[in-house]
Amino acid sequence: MRVVIAEDTVLLREGLAGLLEDAGHEVVGRAGDADALLTLIGEHEPDLAVVDVRMPPDYDDEGTRAAAEIRRTHPSTGVLVLSQHIETRHIVELVTDGGGFGYLLKDRVLDVDDFLDAARRVADGGSALDPQVVATLIGAPGPVRALGELTPREHEVLTLMAEGRTNSGIAKRLWLTEKTVETHVRAILMKLGLTVSDDDHRRVLAVLAYLRAIKG
Amino acid sequence: MSRVLRPVACVIAATAVATGVATAVLNVIGEERGVDHALGLIGAVLFVISVAAPASVGLFVALRQPTNRIPWILLVGSLSVAVVIAASAIADLALEGDRSSTLGAWAALVSQQWPVLFLWPLALAYVFPDGRLPSPRWRPVGALVCLACSGLSLMLLFVPESDTDYGQIASPMPFTLPRSLEPVFWVFWAGLLASLVGGAVALYARYRAGDAQRRRQVLWLAYGAVLVPLWLGGGSVVARVVGSSDDIDFFGIMILQVWPAVAVAVAVTRHGLYAIDRVLNRTLVYVVLTALLVATYALVALLAGLVVGGSALSASVATIAAALAFRPLLARIQALVDHRFARARFDAVRLLRNFLDQVRDGHAEPEDVGAAVSLALADPSAEVVFRLPETGAYANRHGHLIELPDDGRDRVMIGRDERELGVLLHAPGLPPDLVRAVVDGAAVTVELARLRVELRLQLAEVESSRARIAQAGYAERRRIERDLHDGAQQRLVTLGIVLRRIQRSLPRDAIAIDPALDAAVDEVTAAIADLRTIAAGVRPPRLDEGLAAALADLARGATVPVEVSATADRAPPEVEAAAYFVACEALTNALKHASPTHVVVETARENGVLRLLVADDGVGGAETGGGMGLPGMADRVAAQGGTLAIDSPPGAGTRIAVQLPCAS
Repeated sequence: MRVVIAEDTVLLREGLAGLLEDAGHEVVGRAGDADALLTLIGEHEPDLAVVDVRMPPDYDDEGTRAAAEIRRTHPSTGVLVLSQHIETRHIVELVTDGGGFGYLLKDRVLDVDDFLDAARRVADGGSALDPQVVATLIGAPGPVRALGELTPREHEVLTLMAEGRTNSGIAKRLWLTEKTVETHVRAILMKLGLTVSDDDHRRVLAVLAYLRAIKG
Repeated sequence: MSRVLRPVACVIAATAVATGVATAVLNVIGEERGVDHALGLIGAVLFVISVAAPASVGLFVALRQPTNRIPWILLVGSLSVAVVIAASAIADLALEGDRSSTLGAWAALVSQQWPVLFLWPLALAYVFPDGRLPSPRWRPVGALVCLACSGLSLMLLFVPESDTDYGQIASPMPFTLPRSLEPVFWVFWAGLLASLVGGAVALYARYRAGDAQRRRQVLWLAYGAVLVPLWLGGGSVVARVVGSSDDIDFFGIMILQVWPAVAVAVAVTRHGLYAIDRVLNRTLVYVVLTALLVATYALVALLAGLVVGGSALSASVATIAAALAFRPLLARIQALVDHRFARARFDAVRLLRNFLDQVRDGHAEPEDVGAAVSLALADPSAEVVFRLPETGAYANRHGHLIELPDDGRDRVMIGRDERELGVLLHAPGLPPDLVRAVVDGAAVTVELARLRVELRLQLAEVESSRARIAQAGYAERRRIERDLHDGAQQRLVTLGIVLRRIQRSLPRDAIAIDPALDAAVDEVTAAIADLRTIAAGVRPPRLDEGLAAALADLARGATVPVEVSATADRAPPEVEAAAYFVACEALTNALKHASPTHVVVETARENGVLRLLVADDGVGGAETGGGMGLPGMADRVAAQGGTLAIDSPPGAGTRIAVQLPCAS
């Protein structure tokens, strides 16, 4: 797949590019800030943009805003946002806005396979959400009575669902059979009052929509 | 100069009065001899008064201010009037016996100088009270007045015949003016009349241009100036109706001589002219004081002598008694004299003393001294400005630094022991002694007020500098947090990626090094996690998303259930940070010391205030002074200008309520 990377730290940018190229992907553009990123996207229309949240000039949330822009103008380009710390601003909106979006903490890159998997998923129009962000959202304060009714196992499954993993991915993670995972998913969605769907990212959307509802 | 002038003044005054008395005696004699128009006894006495009045007032002022021109006008005027009237009496007496008497002829000639009756009041009208014309523009007028008066006088000196009750007496002068020059005489006469009107106008001009004080000083003389034309005009009308104007002339002259003298006396004694009333006041006070002290001494000495007998002992006792009596007596007599002779000053001083008492009793703020001074001076524009002891800058009662306004108000320094405490601004023309008394009476309060103002200013400065420090501290925390995330953490991630790439590029048979690289990456990951924790301690990045998000993270990390109910309203970053760290410390305290089962954290934003409540159901009994992080919390809140209240009854949990002002 064709990738554009936006990261203001050159060494880190080259490291990421190297990782992706090692895995056989083509890095077609490298940007140091959001403006350059948007130009490159328009130029190359890549499958995936890997974007740092904080970039010049203000080092605030330029990356997230650029991501929203890309999702709006180039729906075919998936955006994987990388952050140094957990942040939920705009994230829920972007994830629930039709897929093709992922959000990971930077150190998640060091689990190379997971990272490449997430990149692939996002490029294909799926979702990827950092487990810590999911934990933050799920553990969000408020009257989360329904979540309290989940069993520990169901909680684990929900967390992995929210990360954007497929049933088989969850099964691999938890050393369960896919069938068992499906049972858990059905139970979770029932307890949360959501309709069951096999569609991969619709499940995430459902979960996140619910999370957003209880958060707001 | 004054050494000569004072005796000269005495001589002139004495001569004038003596001449006046002699004239009166001559008139009384004349009446007995049947001289026409001679003054009777009452008339004679009145005449003496009309000479003595300007003479004595002139002498009184001249003795204190010998170089002042005004008293000399009075002195010379009284003498000239006395001499002319005396000449008239002598002429009558001499001519009654012998129409061709040489003495009579000379006296009759001198008596022709009747304009002197007008001259000194006229001079006074032009130059009272400062001895100068109202303005330089009056100089031509002054010159014309001098010309008219001296011309008239000279012509009268050389008239061919003197007009007397005994007919026309030929002048004894070797040289006389021809009758053909009579029109010139009438020109001068008209000039004198015009000068009288001019004098009235000059007084009016001075009254108009003067401040309140000057107006009061001039007022009485101005009344007189109105009377003179009235008398000249009215007198001739009455003369035509009644037939004889002698009596009217006489009383007119009386008034003309006495009135200006009285007017000057009033200005001097009542309205602070030449600052003589203060001298008078002092004199009166010390005369009475001395008398009372002597009386005290005598009485005590007498009584002590009766009781103990010894002279030395009784003298000592009397001395002590007199010494003890000095201060209270002085104050009492001064108050009495002021009350009687300087009412405004007396009232002002009493008002300020009452104000000081109110300040002492806590019923009034010393900063309000300006209002009290304004009342005491009866001057709404009066204002007291405080001089700050540290900086020497001026501040108003609200503690705002100000420049001394240059708006035409007079400035008087308020001081104590040579130190400037403040400045009194007041409308120009207030009686200087009243202002002085008010300034003295207000000094203590001003001293008090300026210290308070200074204190308040410094406190405000400390508060704002503390807020600035807190803000700088917050900015610094933010910078450190950013540096940790974007610097060290980025490098570690880069290092991890490099390790992973090495690992993945190794040939399959290098599997032995794989676990070591895994371990290295794990270390890097752990280091990143550590850094993230440290950065969050410095400043939780979630604060960027709002206090609610940051508090939610905080709650999640707690070991007991923490219920967060936070407003989504945003406050300034440093206020939110302060609230977060207070909540953080409160939570840490609760978990550490209070063994709660449940903690509630609430925030609300209302009326420009961010409220934070951290309540637990722990053991309670927390104290502000205890080493439980409470002082730190209080400092943090105070730095944002907020308040912190702790309610922690033993056994009933702890509630920490914080209010942080946030400008919105």
